[in-house]
Amino acid sequence: MAVVGAGIVGMSAAHFLSRAGWQVTVYDAGVVASGATGSADGAVSVASKKPGPLMTLAVAAVKFYEQLVATGILVDEYLPRSTFVVASDQEELAVLERHAGELEAAGVPIRMLRGAALMDVIGAAAPAAIAAAEVQREGHAVGYRVVERLRQLGGFTIRRNCRVSGFKSSNGRITGVMTEQGIESTDAVLLATGIGSMHFLAEAGLIRPRKGQLIVTDRAGADSPHFPGPLMSCRYLVSKGSQPAGSTAASRSLGLVIDPLRTGQFLIGGSREDRDDRETADADVVATLLRDAVALSPSLAQLRVIRVFSGLRAATRDGMPIVGNVGGADNVWIATGFEGDGICLGPMIGRLCQQMICGESPEQDISALDAARFGLTLAAAA
Amino acid sequence: MSGPEVLVIGGGPAGVSAALELARAGIDVTLCEQGPQLGGAIHRQPNDATQSVRVPRSHKRRWRALSDELATSTVKVLYRHMFAGIDATGAVLLEDRMHARLVTRRPTALVLAMGAIERVAPVPGWQLPGVVTVGGLQVMMKSTGRAPDGDVLIAGSGPLLVALAAQMVSLGKAPVAVLERSTRPMSVSVIASLLAAPAYLWEAAGYLLTLARSGALPRRGAFVTAIVPKDGRLSVTTLDRNGRERQTLVDRVALHDGLLPNSNGTTAGQHAPFIVRAGDCREVLGGAAALADGRLAAGAVLAHLGQIASVHKGAADALARERQAQAALNTLFDYSGRDPAELPDETIICRCEGRTLGQLRALLTAGDPVSPREIKLNGRFGMGACQGRFCAEWVASFVASQRDGSSPPQVSEIVGSRWPVKPVPISAFVTLPPSSPSE
Ligand SMILES: Cc1cc2nc3c(=O)[nH]c(=O)nc-3n(C[C@H](O)[C@H](O)[C@H](O)COP(=O)(O)OP(=O)(O)OC[C@H]3O[C@@H](n4cnc5c(N)ncnc54)[C@H](O)[C@@H]3O)c2cc1C
Ligand SMILES: Cc1cc2nc3c(=O)[nH]c(=O)nc-3n(C[C@H](O)[C@H](O)[C@H](O)COP(=O)(O)OP(=O)(O)OC[C@H]3O[C@@H](n4cnc5c(N)ncnc54)[C@H](O)[C@@H]3O)c2cc1C
Repeated sequence: MAVVGAGIVGMSAAHFLSRAGWQVTVYDAGVVASGATGSADGAVSVASKKPGPLMTLAVAAVKFYEQLVATGILVDEYLPRSTFVVASDQEELAVLERHAGELEAAGVPIRMLRGAALMDVIGAAAPAAIAAAEVQREGHAVGYRVVERLRQLGGFTIRRNCRVSGFKSSNGRITGVMTEQGIESTDAVLLATGIGSMHFLAEAGLIRPRKGQLIVTDRAGADSPHFPGPLMSCRYLVSKGSQPAGSTAASRSLGLVIDPLRTGQFLIGGSREDRDDRETADADVVATLLRDAVALSPSLAQLRVIRVFSGLRAATRDGMPIVGNVGGADNVWIATGFEGDGICLGPMIGRLCQQMICGESPEQDISALDAARFGLTLAAAA
Repeated sequence: MSGPEVLVIGGGPAGVSAALELARAGIDVTLCEQGPQLGGAIHRQPNDATQSVRVPRSHKRRWRALSDELATSTVKVLYRHMFAGIDATGAVLLEDRMHARLVTRRPTALVLAMGAIERVAPVPGWQLPGVVTVGGLQVMMKSTGRAPDGDVLIAGSGPLLVALAAQMVSLGKAPVAVLERSTRPMSVSVIASLLAAPAYLWEAAGYLLTLARSGALPRRGAFVTAIVPKDGRLSVTTLDRNGRERQTLVDRVALHDGLLPNSNGTTAGQHAPFIVRAGDCREVLGGAAALADGRLAAGAVLAHLGQIASVHKGAADALARERQAQAALNTLFDYSGRDPAELPDETIICRCEGRTLGQLRALLTAGDPVSPREIKLNGRFGMGACQGRFCAEWVASFVASQRDGSSPPQVSEIVGSRWPVKPVPISAFVTLPPSSPSE
């Protein structure tokens, strides 16, 4: 089995496939977690998901993380916590109420916070909030740490700095993987190539890079206000496309999440920009995010920025990931297009890919993600 | 403003010399210094002019000449402006510490003359409060004009050890001990090379004479093996060249194992201005070379701007001379630090994040050739506030030493190339005007 891509999706799939008896080799053009997985926040969260199949899958994905902890696979890599979706004005409140309703309908445990309860829970962190929804029973995982844990558990081979340029096929089946180091034979292929997936597909423009910039602060002092979990401004939902923009003036591509890390530092994000100049951040976006962050949580002004970074999300045309068989060969599967949800969904998707590839019926209904909806076929060059 | 603007970062000899050379050519030049005064590492001026540390007369003369010319030049000087990096759009970010705000500039060219950083090789206990760098202590003394409180032990390797010790003696306080790791002898050929730049010999002789008089001559071949807190002070275990172990109780330990160019956080993206490095920031060659290198850097900028720069034969010659002298000088010292094999697993390697040698070793034992990026992300070396400025070089050479040459990591793969170069207060960003045009 050749897994192309050592991000969270590819590494999770490799883990489960190797345990299902496959002899797995993971190929990566760079190194482990050198794509989106290494440049992301780690919200394992239902709070921001689009109502519908994605929200349902996210609920299952959170449970899957809990299961991975319980079975000792991800011992210390998952931190359960609530997310607080915060409204600071009436317009945001309308978005909040609609979204909270939808989360509740999907069976997500929600607690609406107003008045004294609001002050009590997030008053110190966000004194200007007028309401918040506490989305319970979700968590945080750092993508590259999950991947590192899977690497340490082993059971498969990793080939770093080994770009896959195409495949060798015969009789409608892939028989080999082409790399700079030659052709290596294989019985099946899983493409978990994130933003690099377009290289392998015939359909142009299906997946676009969506850049995100994130800010890391230094550690907050012991006397600074307590953050019970990440604060997500309602604007974030609009920015992410989980809720329609409506009349909210701030329906631009900057959504605010203030994420308190275990280290005492904060991760503040993030932008959504349709550009692919990765690895770089601009002061304008960073300053705008920080202004919004300080408006919501004034205590942050006392901290310092130690680093800014950016990553590229793989955004599909319809906003849904792509998971399934690729046309043009019987033994090629793809799992890509996770945009801002791959840390949350990745491990479970890896498991579902294994089940799909082994001919079992996947534990979750992933028909909405089926590659067939775009009639995907392998590019001639691949 | 008409014509191209050139920004020079760093108010040491290299930066001042580059700025002056550009101003002489009629260029609109701004010099940014993070501190309240110019002078850099070697010509650092006291906060209070009446309190000064003894420095060689030649240094004083050199600095006087530069500052006099600067005073009558067209160079604009921005004090307390820290260069924070270059963003994706090519904007140069400056933290204006005077007004606690971030400002952006879009110069045509940028001269980086941010000097050197001090190298300190890890030793158990070096992260403890009270353990400082030799240069850090020197900066403190030069700024305040006073010797540090308490008993001080100086250890490591390099000419800076005796310089600091002698300056302490002149301020009325001899260090408890000066331990110079190196046992390498002064040879005839070294002396011959140093004669090309005899100022070093005179400077060293002056320092050593001072130390001899106060009985604080360096103990060669001796080094620190561990530092532990004891009764509110620091207990330092040292080994001398005969293998004799000794404990010394002091208040401060000043460590130093050489200098490295201060070069992180400054990778030029496609929109960045034309960048030239000068002085210790490019190659650590000392103060005289920094002056010459500043002029050469200015020449490169002028050439880029299409101006015919005057030929800098003199500067190039001076640089070559200093390079030879520094190379000779370096043969006398031993910057290797403690052999990693001798260091216990608990030894802190990354002081920002408290990461240990044991954690680094564990990452490397898995058999799989983990990449520098994975070492960085999972080991968190280079992820702290200093972005690896103080550990990346050591980590890279340690990893290389554990692998038989197969894939030695580059320091640049561990050290950050992301801005800000140094932490910047969030409050400074908040005042940046939205979509600010260049200031
Ligand atoms: C700023 C930002 C914040 C985010 N925050 C969150 C969050 O809070 N929660 C969340 O759930 N998700 C978040 N995400 C999204 C998440 O990071 C991604 O969805 C997820 O990492 C995708 O994983 P992947 O394995 O599909 O892709 P990647 O991690 O991109 O991995 C793909 C790999 O394939 C390799 N590759 C590509 N082409 C080839 C080839 N031809 N040959 C060999 N190898 C190849 C690449 O080198 C890469 O390593 C965020 C993303 C960003 C950018
Ligand atoms: C700690 C230390 C002590 C030294 N002591 C001696 C000595 O006693 N005798 C001797 O001969 N040589 C000494 N040296 C060697 C000395 O570095 C050179 O002789 C000479 O000072 C190099 O000049 P420079 O202009 O290249 O750098 P420097 O003189 O180091 O000047 C660099 C300047 O840049 C500024 N700067 C750095 N980063 C930024 C930023 N991000 N933004 C804005 N400004 C910034 C610094 O504040 C500094 O003023 C010392 C070096 C160091 C590091």
